[in-house]
Amino acid sequence: MTRLLLLLLLAPVTLAGAYDRGELNELNDLYKNDRFEEALEGYNKIVAQEPANPWGWYNAGNALFRLNRTGPAVFHYARAFRLNPRDPNIRFNLEFALRQTGQALLPDGMPRALHYVYYLLSDMEIKAFAICLFWLACLAGAAGFLLDGAPSGAAASRTAVITAVMCLGCLGWLGARQNSPFAGAGVITKTGGARLLSGPGENFKACASAPEGLLVKVLDSIDDDYYEIGLPKEGVKGWALKTEVEKI
Amino acid sequence: MRAPGNGLKLALALALAGFAGPAAAALTISAETDRTSVEINENLYLTVQVAGDSSSVPEPKIPNMQNFNSYSSGRSQSISIINGKITTSVSFTYILSPRFLGIQKIPSISVFNGTEKAFTPEIEITVTRPSAAAARPAAPRQLQGRGGRTAAAAAQNKAEGRIFLKAETDKKTAYPGEQVNLSVKFYTSVPLTSNPQYMQPPLKNLIPEDLPPIRSGETTLNGEHYAYSEIKTALFALSPGPAEIKPASVVVQVPSNETLDPFDPNFFQKFMSMSNAQGSSREFATEAVSLNIKPLPPGAPAGFSGAVGNYTVSATADRLEAKAGEPVNFSITVAGSGNLKAVTAPQLPDLQDFKVFDTMSSLDIRKDGDIIGGKKTFTYILVPRAAGRKTVPPITFHFFEPRAAQYRELQTAPLTINVKKGDLDSKNVYFSGGAAAPKVTASDIRYVSDEPRAGFIADSAEGIAALPLWPLTLPAGLMLATFWLSRFNRFKSANPLLFRFHRAKSQANSAVEKITALLKAGDTGAAVALLYDSFMYYLSDKCGVKVSALTMKKAAQLIKERFPAVTPRAMEEVRELWTALELRHFSPSAAEPEGVRNLLKKYSLLITLLEKELRRPRP
Repeated sequence: MTRLLLLLLLAPVTLAGAYDRGELNELNDLYKNDRFEEALEGYNKIVAQEPANPWGWYNAGNALFRLNRTGPAVFHYARAFRLNPRDPNIRFNLEFALRQTGQALLPDGMPRALHYVYYLLSDMEIKAFAICLFWLACLAGAAGFLLDGAPSGAAASRTAVITAVMCLGCLGWLGARQNSPFAGAGVITKTGGARLLSGPGENFKACASAPEGLLVKVLDSIDDDYYEIGLPKEGVKGWALKTEVEKI
Repeated sequence: MRAPGNGLKLALALALAGFAGPAAAALTISAETDRTSVEINENLYLTVQVAGDSSSVPEPKIPNMQNFNSYSSGRSQSISIINGKITTSVSFTYILSPRFLGIQKIPSISVFNGTEKAFTPEIEITVTRPSAAAARPAAPRQLQGRGGRTAAAAAQNKAEGRIFLKAETDKKTAYPGEQVNLSVKFYTSVPLTSNPQYMQPPLKNLIPEDLPPIRSGETTLNGEHYAYSEIKTALFALSPGPAEIKPASVVVQVPSNETLDPFDPNFFQKFMSMSNAQGSSREFATEAVSLNIKPLPPGAPAGFSGAVGNYTVSATADRLEAKAGEPVNFSITVAGSGNLKAVTAPQLPDLQDFKVFDTMSSLDIRKDGDIIGGKKTFTYILVPRAAGRKTVPPITFHFFEPRAAQYRELQTAPLTINVKKGDLDSKNVYFSGGAAAPKVTASDIRYVSDEPRAGFIADSAEGIAALPLWPLTLPAGLMLATFWLSRFNRFKSANPLLFRFHRAKSQANSAVEKITALLKAGDTGAAVALLYDSFMYYLSDKCGVKVSALTMKKAAQLIKERFPAVTPRAMEEVRELWTALELRHFSPSAAEPEGVRNLLKKYSLLITLLEKELRRPRP
C-alpha cells in the first residue's frame, strides 16, 4: 500500500522529466545566439508537454521579451510566477516586464516581506499542503481517540488540533489568494493593445482600450469569442476578443 | 544562474527603479561619422548612439548599404543614475569602406523598442580618389570585375598555374595575447567567371579578429601581371606552446576552353550548356603556418591579470560634487593597442568612504593601421557614505608590453569628490550590513533557466493536488470510527451494569461448554465448582450486585424489583437450582457425575427461561 502511494505521488515527478537536459541546453544555446524565434518554438513545446513546469513558461517569457513581445512575455512570466512564486528570477523578470508596461508587482503600500509571505507558496502547493495537513489532523485525531485517557493520546489530540488549525489556515490562505491580481486574471497580449467593447460583438461600441501587457480581471468567459474583462484600477469593464487576451 | 547577492542586486535595482517612477521611455538615436570626406582606399567610422531612460536599449537596425561595405567594430555602454533616474546610452561603432566615388549617402538608421521608433537623418559622405602620396601602385578594384571582359581569352591549363593562394604572418614567434597579423593573398592572372569563395583557416591555440576591408590591387610577379585580393586577420595566442594556422582555401570558377566534337554523342547537351560565363570549379589552398608561442617572462607583478599590449589608463568621474547617498559614476578607461576583449577590470582598493556597486564594462574597438586597439571602460557606481572631501586613491593597472618584453605598471591620478550632506531621499540607496559590497545589475531581464524540472516540492505538490478527493474520506472515516469507539468505551465505563446484564447469557453459555468438557474428563468437583460460580455470576450480572453481596433472598428480592414480570415458576426454579448447587458445592462427596449433568441441564434450561422472563415487559 505504501509503495502504491509512493508510486502515485512520484508518477508526476517521473513524467515531469519527459524531455532531457540536452534538449533544453540546445534551446538555451539558440537563445544565447539570439535565435529567439527558434528557442521560443522549443520552449513552447515544453510548455505544451508540461504545463506545470514553471521554467518552460519562464524561458518562453524571456524569448518573447527579447522579441519585443511584452504582452505575451508578461503572460508567460505570470504563469511561471503562479507555479513558482518563490523563485527570485521569475519574480524579478515578471516585475521587470510589468514595470516596462507601467505596472508593479508589489501593490502600493504593501510591505515587500508581507508580499513575499503572501506568495511564499503556489496555489497548488497550498492545496497539497492543506491535503497533507488534513490527513495528518485526521490520523492524529484517530490516534487521540484510540488512546483516549493516555498521555500519548493527549499529545495526539493536541497535534490533531494544531494541524487542523493549520489546515484551516491554508484554506483561508487559498481563499485570500483568490483576490490576488493573478487569480481569475488575464493579460492583454495583442501587439499595440486591445479594444474594449460595450458588448460581446463588433456591433457594440468601443468604450475603452487596454495597452499590451496589462493585467486584467476576466469576469466572464462564457461567450465563444469574447471575454468580459475588468480593469480594477480604472474601474472600467468591457468585452475583448479572446484572441487578444490570454487567461493566466 | 543564481549568483550570490542576487537579492541585494534586486533590492537595489528596485530601490533605484522606485526613484525613476513609471515614466514613459524616451528613445533617441543619433549617428555621426568621424569625417565627412574619405578617400576610396580608406575607411571611416560610423558611430550610432541609442539612448533611453529604461535600463536596456535595443540595437539599431543598420540598413543595407550598396555604396559601403560595413563591419561591426564593437559597442560601448554607459549607464548614468542621476537623482535615482537611470539613463542608458549605447554606442555602436561600424567601420565603413566606400565602394564608389562621389557623394554617397548613409541611409537613415532606425531603432525600435516595441513602443517607440526613432530614426537618424541621412549622412552624406564625399568619397574622393586616393591622393598621389598615399595612392597604391594600382587602383583597388574588385577582382571579379576583370572576369567578364577577357574571360573568353583564357586557357584552363594555363590558368591553374597562374592562380595561387598565399598565407603569411608578420611574425613567427609571439607571446600569449600579442597580436600576430595573418595575411592571406589570392593572386590570379587569369579572368574568373564568378566571385571566389574564401574559407577561413582553422586555428589552433589562436583566436581571430577580422581586419577589414578586403584589399585588392594589381602587381607584377616574375614578369607576370597579377590581380590580387588580400584578407587580413589579427590573431591572438591563447597559451604558450605551438600554435598553428591550418590551410585557408579559395574555390574559384576558371573558364573552360573545352572544344566541341560534333560527333560526340553528347554534343547537343554540351553545346546547350556552354557559356562564356561558365567554367570548372577549382580549389586553391595555402600551406599551414606554424607559430611558436613563448611563455611570458617570470616575475609578473601580483596585480597582473593577463593584459598584453601597450596601454594607458585613466580614471574619471561623471561629477566631482555630489550629496551623500547619491551615486557617482566612476570610470576607469584602459586605452591602447592589444586584445582589449581579454582585459579585465583593475582591482579597486578598499574604499572606506564609498559604497561600491556594479561594474559595467564597455568596449570600443579600433582597427586603424591593422592594429587592434581602442578603449575599454569599467564603470563603478560609487555612493559616498558621508559628507566631506572624499578621495578615490590611484588605481593600479599592470600589463605586459611584448615589444619591450617587460611588465609595466600604470596608475591613475587620485580623484577627489566633494560630498555634501545628503537629503533623506538619497539615503534610500543605502543598504546596511555585509562586508562585501552589493552589486546591482537591474538593467535587463535575467537569463533563461537550465532547470528541466519544476523541482521536488512543486512536482510533489502537483502529484498530491492531482489526486482525486475521495481518498480524503479514508482518514475522515477512520477518525469518525475511532471517535465512536472512544465514546462507546466511555459509555461502557459509565454503565458497567448494563453491559454485565447483556453479557451474562453469553458468559453462562461459555461456562456450560467448559463444564461439559470437565464432566467428560471426569473432573466432577471442578465441574460443580465452575457450575456454581457461573450461576452466581449470572445472577449477579442480572441483579447488578457483587457476587459476595448476593444471597438467595436478596437475589429473589432484586429480581422481583427489577423484573416484576418474572413468573413465580421461574423464581422457584432459581431457588431449587441454587439449593442443589450449594449442597454439591459445599459437600463435594454428594457430587456424582450423573447428578451434576442433571444440574447442568437444569441450569441451561433455567438460563433460557430467565432470558425470556427477564425481557418480558412490565405488566
